[in-house]
Amino acid sequence: MPDKLFYREKGLFLQSLHPLAAFVYLGTLLVLALAFANPLYLLGILLVVALAVREADGLEAWEGYLKIALFMMVPVMIINPLVVHAGKTVLWEGPRIPVFGRLTVSLEAVCYGAAMSVRLLDIISVFCLYNLIVHPDRALNLFSRFAGRSVLVVSLAARMFPVMVRELERIRGVQQMRGVDFNSGSARERIKKYSSLINILLLSSLEGSLEIAESMQARAYGSGPRTCYSRNPWRPRDALCLSASACALVAGIWGLLNGFGGYTFYPQLDCLISGPGTVAVLLIVLFSLSVPVMAGWGWRRCHYLKSKI
Amino acid sequence: MGEGIPGERPKTARKILFPLFLIVIPGLLYAGIKQDNFLAGQGWGLLSAEMVLAALALFYWGFERGGASSREAAFIAVLGAAAAAGRIPFAALPNVQPTTFLVIVSGFVFGPRAGFMVGSTAALVSNFFLGHGPWTPWQMFAWGLAGASAGLIRMVYPGIGTLGMSAFNFIWGYLFGWIMNLWFWTSFIQPLNWQSFLASYAASFWFDTFHAAGNAAFYLVFGSSFTKILTRFRRKLKVRIVENRDC
Repeated sequence: MPDKLFYREKGLFLQSLHPLAAFVYLGTLLVLALAFANPLYLLGILLVVALAVREADGLEAWEGYLKIALFMMVPVMIINPLVVHAGKTVLWEGPRIPVFGRLTVSLEAVCYGAAMSVRLLDIISVFCLYNLIVHPDRALNLFSRFAGRSVLVVSLAARMFPVMVRELERIRGVQQMRGVDFNSGSARERIKKYSSLINILLLSSLEGSLEIAESMQARAYGSGPRTCYSRNPWRPRDALCLSASACALVAGIWGLLNGFGGYTFYPQLDCLISGPGTVAVLLIVLFSLSVPVMAGWGWRRCHYLKSKI
Repeated sequence: MGEGIPGERPKTARKILFPLFLIVIPGLLYAGIKQDNFLAGQGWGLLSAEMVLAALALFYWGFERGGASSREAAFIAVLGAAAAAGRIPFAALPNVQPTTFLVIVSGFVFGPRAGFMVGSTAALVSNFFLGHGPWTPWQMFAWGLAGASAGLIRMVYPGIGTLGMSAFNFIWGYLFGWIMNLWFWTSFIQPLNWQSFLASYAASFWFDTFHAAGNAAFYLVFGSSFTKILTRFRRKLKVRIVENRDC
């Protein structure tokens, strides 16, 4: 039953980051993964994220995410080669079909599909890392300063979700004791049984929501400008991660504007490494991005470093 | 209750912010179509994500500004949590879940703004537990839009009836899938032409059909009774607490 948060507190270095620093780091990874097209760059980002996931002790959770990614990679690998006719190196020429014209599979399109699959892995893994290192409450706390009402609604709902799931299970148990079999009958009958569950759930919980509203009112909700405070301390480690992310972002954007990190697939594959600049930018970006991972490693090993950051 | 809170941002800032957001989205769209500038250089994958985030920010900002009462906030939270709980797989029916249906009914009864909040809260909160992914903002957007559009349809056409709303639910089954396909299509497929569009949408056709059929079935079976329950609670929203200042 998913009535526990995906996030688990393990007291790790990456989990102790200020949510703003974590957001900027993850956002940088995400933006660079979406902006770069060069397969080497995409693979490099995947490597950094994999190391970070290992540092966050989340290889098991990552496996589940990789399964989803695999499921989504299949259409990427199939659709790209089938619809693209721009590639010059034709590997296979198929029959003519109505909507798509002649089916041709070119080497370039297959490579593009592969590169995009790596990008998909990058993005999914970054989100996996987000789930592992940012506590939902701390993330919400960041937004409570300028979006107080919305954050209140979201955190109320987040508190009620596990209660609802357990309540649903309880109502289901009661119904089963009365002889309702949820796994039998036609689709229509099953939907009918399920709807009655939701019906009972809604009636009881909406009644409860009135009490929540009254207690909010009693605690002076909406009576004037609200105050807020933050429990998240800003430490040297946050400044370190923030500046490392900024450095990676600046280097990445500079590289993109000057022709490093991009890649042309059509009509013919470009050279992977077009000069020393490509490697230099790649190394700078990867090094900056791995600073938080290295800091985490040092934090575990070196007591002096631990006391300083 | 219901009025804005005194002592917040001055009014001129509010007046400027709204048109600013309205300009950002079509501006990004235009920059994407005009090929020769920096914004378009970042590719459609990033551009589409930016547009969705801007739209979400606009909706949330509308809610912040609306001055929801404590009851309204609590109702939205409970409905959002119930809709989120509906995402948990049930009884071996593929992709049949009451989430979209609940969001649409809430939007229909409580209006577009509350409908959006219920939908996007359901997506966000359920993903705290099931795991966030690149799909989170798109789900927030799609479900939010389902709720908001249900609120709008009541304003435009109040006597739509059970059959009409079932059709509306059915259509949203497909629309939800299509919005979710957009990020997949813009981020990982090139070139973006109608053939690749068709191919990626054909891949999810059966999945979306199950969703649509489930939505319509939920509405046909329980739509009117759910609407009745929520309408009763909406009436309770209007209760005002009158302070007696004389004593």
